Formats: sequence, C-alpha cells, structure tokens
Amino acid sequence: MTTAVRFENYSWRYSRTKEQALKEINLEIEEGLLVGVIGPNGSGKTTLAYSMNGLIPNQYNGIRKGSVKIYDEEVTEMDQAQLCQQVGLVFSDPEAQFTAMTVEDEVVFGMENMGLTYQEIEERLDWVVPLTDIEELMEKPPYEVSGGQKQRVALASVLSMRPPVLMLDEPTSMLDPIGRRRIFDVLGRLKREYQSTIIIVEHSLENLIPLADLMVLVYEGEVLLVDETEPFFQKLDYLMEHHIYPPGVLEFFHHLKKSGDYPEASALPESVGEGEKQLRRLLENKA
Amino acid sequence: MNEKQPFLTVRDLSYRYEDGTLALENVNLTLDDGDFVALIGQNGSGKTTLSKCLNGLFKPTEGTVMVDELDTRKTSITKMAVRVGYIFQNPDHQLFNGSVWEEIAYGPKNIELPEEETRERVEEAARVVGLDPETFEKPPFFLPKGIRQRVAIASILALRPRIIIVDEPTTGQDRRQALEIMNFLVRLHEERDHIIVFITHDMPIVSQYAKRIVLMGEGHVLADGPTAEVFAQPDKLEETFVEPPQITQLAQAVEDLGFDPGTLLVEEMVERYRELKG
Repeated sequence: MTTAVRFENYSWRYSRTKEQALKEINLEIEEGLLVGVIGPNGSGKTTLAYSMNGLIPNQYNGIRKGSVKIYDEEVTEMDQAQLCQQVGLVFSDPEAQFTAMTVEDEVVFGMENMGLTYQEIEERLDWVVPLTDIEELMEKPPYEVSGGQKQRVALASVLSMRPPVLMLDEPTSMLDPIGRRRIFDVLGRLKREYQSTIIIVEHSLENLIPLADLMVLVYEGEVLLVDETEPFFQKLDYLMEHHIYPPGVLEFFHHLKKSGDYPEASALPESVGEGEKQLRRLLENKA
Repeated sequence: MNEKQPFLTVRDLSYRYEDGTLALENVNLTLDDGDFVALIGQNGSGKTTLSKCLNGLFKPTEGTVMVDELDTRKTSITKMAVRVGYIFQNPDHQLFNGSVWEEIAYGPKNIELPEEETRERVEEAARVVGLDPETFEKPPFFLPKGIRQRVAIASILALRPRIIIVDEPTTGQDRRQALEIMNFLVRLHEERDHIIVFITHDMPIVSQYAKRIVLMGEGHVLADGPTAEVFAQPDKLEETFVEPPQITQLAQAVEDLGFDPGTLLVEEMVERYRELKG
C-alpha cells in the first residue's frame, strides 16, 4: 500500500492566536481511500486541509512543527504549482476560487496553467462536464449561477486537473438534498473508476457514511479518533459527546442496542435499506 | 363580515424577473399567529423570490400580497420593514454601518423613531440576541461570524416585525450551532409571538422544529400543511428534489409493519418499535 498523505507530530499555530490550531497530529491516509473528516466548527478541520495543499504555511503566518508529506514528499519542499497538481482543494465557499468570466474559462483555467495541450483539455472537458452536470452553464459567468451550481463548477475545475489527492471542504453546504446526493455520486464514481484519494470535510453524514472507507474525528485541534467507517460509528456515544450527530437510522438502532433490542455484537445499519432489512428481521422474528 | 383576516395573505401571486424568467406562478398562501414554517424545495424553486415578495422588496407581477391589511404594491418598503423582516443567509450582505450600535439603530432611525425609543429598541434587541454591550462601539465586520449573525438579527428585531423570515439560518453551521440558532428562533416565536418562516435544505432540522411546511417546486406551492403530513408525501417531495429525513424514510419503508409514515423523530420511532414489539 502506498501512503498518499502522512502527518507526523504535526502542529500549527496561527500567529494571531494563543492556542495551537492543530496539536501533534499523526495521521496516515492510504492511496485510493475516501476519508471523511468530521468535527464541530472551529476544531481545526479546514486548517488540516490547508496544511495538505501548502496554503499553510505559504499563505498564512504561524508556527509549524512536525511534518506533512504527500507521497513521501514534504509539503514545504514542493513549490505551490507542483502542490496544486498533487492536492486539489475545493473550498466550502466556491466563490473564493473563481477568477474567470465564464464557467467554461473557469474550468479550463487550471488545465491551461498546467500546460496541457488543446486536445487534452478537450478530452478532459468531455469527461468532467457531464460528470458534474454543468453542460447548461458553460457560457454563464460563474458568480451568476446558483449556489449548488457554483459548487459543481468549483468541483469540475479542480477535478479537471486530475489531482491524485482531492480535498473537499464542506462541498455540499449550499445544496438541496438531491443536489447533495449528486455530488456524492460523482465522488463515488471517482473513487470506483479512478481510485482517487478523496478527503472530505463534511457535517452532513447521511451521504458520507455509505461512501467513506475511513473516518477521522477532529476536536479542539486534535485527532481523537481514526477508524474504518463501521467500527468508527459503533462508538456513537463517544461521537455524540463530541457533538457529532448521527443520521436517523444509525441513531435509532443505537437506541435499540442500548435497550438490548439489538444484538450487542452486530454492526449498526447505516442506510435506510439496511435499516429496513434489520427492522423486518427483528419484528418478524417475534411473530 | 367581521372575520379576522390572516396577518399575511398571498393571492394568485406570479412574479416575473426583468429577463422574462417566471419565478413564481399562481402562489396562494397565508401566514398568521402561531405559524412556525419551513419553506423548502430545490435550489431555484422560488423560495427566496417568494420571501422577497412577502416583505415587499419585490412587487407582484400578478396577484396580490396583503400584509396587515396593506397591499405591498402600494406600501413603502419602510412600512413593510416593520411588519416583515428578512434575515440574509450571509450576515455580511446585510451589515454596512460603522459600529454595532449604528447597525442596530439604523432601522429604528430610518422609520424616524425618537432618539429615546431608538435607544430602548437597540438595547432590547441586543439583549434578546445576547450581544454584549461592549461590542456596541466596534465595527461589525471584524467580529466573529456568530456575533455578526447576531448583529444582523438584532438589526431586524429592532424594527419589531411580526413576521421574521430567515434564509438558511443553519447553512455552514455545525449541528450544535444549528440547534442553538433554531432554539433562539423558537424563543422569539414562543416568548415574543413572532411568526417565523425559515428557508432550509436541512430536513432533520425541519422535522425537529417546523410546525408547518410550505413545499416549493418550479415557482409553485406543491404542498402546504403540517410537517408530518407533507413529509408523508414522498412523490411531491421528489418533484422538487427533496427527500424526508432518514428516520422518516425508514418509517415509510416499514409502514406495513405498523410504523407511521409521518414519523419525524428518532424517539417516536423507538417508542413505536417498543409498542410493536410488545
């Protein structure tokens, strides 16, 4: 297995604050995994993201300790252009990344900067535009399309650069539930068809849980829990103590488990379909 | 003929933007005391346009919006602002004054309240949202986002509008912060009798807080009723790209076992399970 991202005893303190934003982080992310990073606002999730693509320390002042490596190369040793091709970052506020006058120019901008040939750019557009469902928007100014569309444009412009590590900071915060699911469908396809390493900071867990291989809980600047998704969510009491609120199905079965209605050793169902199956088993057994 | 009119009545409302887009078509709606409404529907379904028609910022292309017996077409924005307040999703779209005090006092001054009453209202609004008087002299832009949001809300409250419309109050908030904001809206509703309308995509928040749902799709009201009733109509929800919260979906999937398709909360589901298990 190749390690895509490795944090070793990594700490970061912004120069204007007294407290470290991240404290002694140790975290390894294998290539090809889809990783969910969760935690309350202000816990250090975005700082973690910025530390991977070099925005920290290049654009922020502060004190850095330890190391962050992308494919065994120290982030501070790479130049920003190289890093941007290694780690694609989709911001939670898509407008923060828009620079062009049309959606098409916006999507093409990164590829042009990489020096791709016209033909290669065309090929990638043919791939990314239907994938993110932005055909209709190509001629429009990016700041005039709706919030959900903006998030898809931002995603397309980063995906088109095919970064081996894709980092998304709350990519669906502005979307309606089905728009949200569409983004996660795209991420699922990327994972299956391209074995991309995908790291998602997200509050909405319903869509994240079925896709994630690994979950990371960040709390007050520390990584408190790292585990595969299923065992991670078996520790629901611990997560709830740290202000993580699970989707309804998981919480429901957690209650049943606590009251002895659901076998202690069984995994908690994570989707509506799985929940239905288990519930039928429980109630039909009785009859 | 002395029957009391609802505080707000929308009749056959259509709204067309200048570029020709028909954003609302034939919308009928009333809002009255006791309403705590979630306005939901896919992006672009007309939620924000409708809100701006309710507070008179947009005038109907066809039909009428009557608020407190005033026709929004014939009523000044100022008169509307003391009846229907609109809180932006991003507080920074709303803040523009040099100090927190000026920001909150802007509305009362604009409606030409005497200085004494302006002061009272600013202090009251600040107290309700829990703003420390120490912030009064500070420029709002450099305060943390949570505080800026409170300033934005206080500046609306100072006008004492009966209806408060809040656009996506929980977007970008974590769950704990989202619950704090919603509990605050509940307090405004219960203790100060405000009619609350909130726009959101967060269905668990809707099931936990809304008494009523107005479901919008492509400029129409697709459904309007008690929360459980609207969530029990998955077809209508799907039409506008919304799905009920997970626990409601689970209850609907096992309706045949005796669960209520209008189940809103995990606790209800657990309780029903115990009854069925016997």
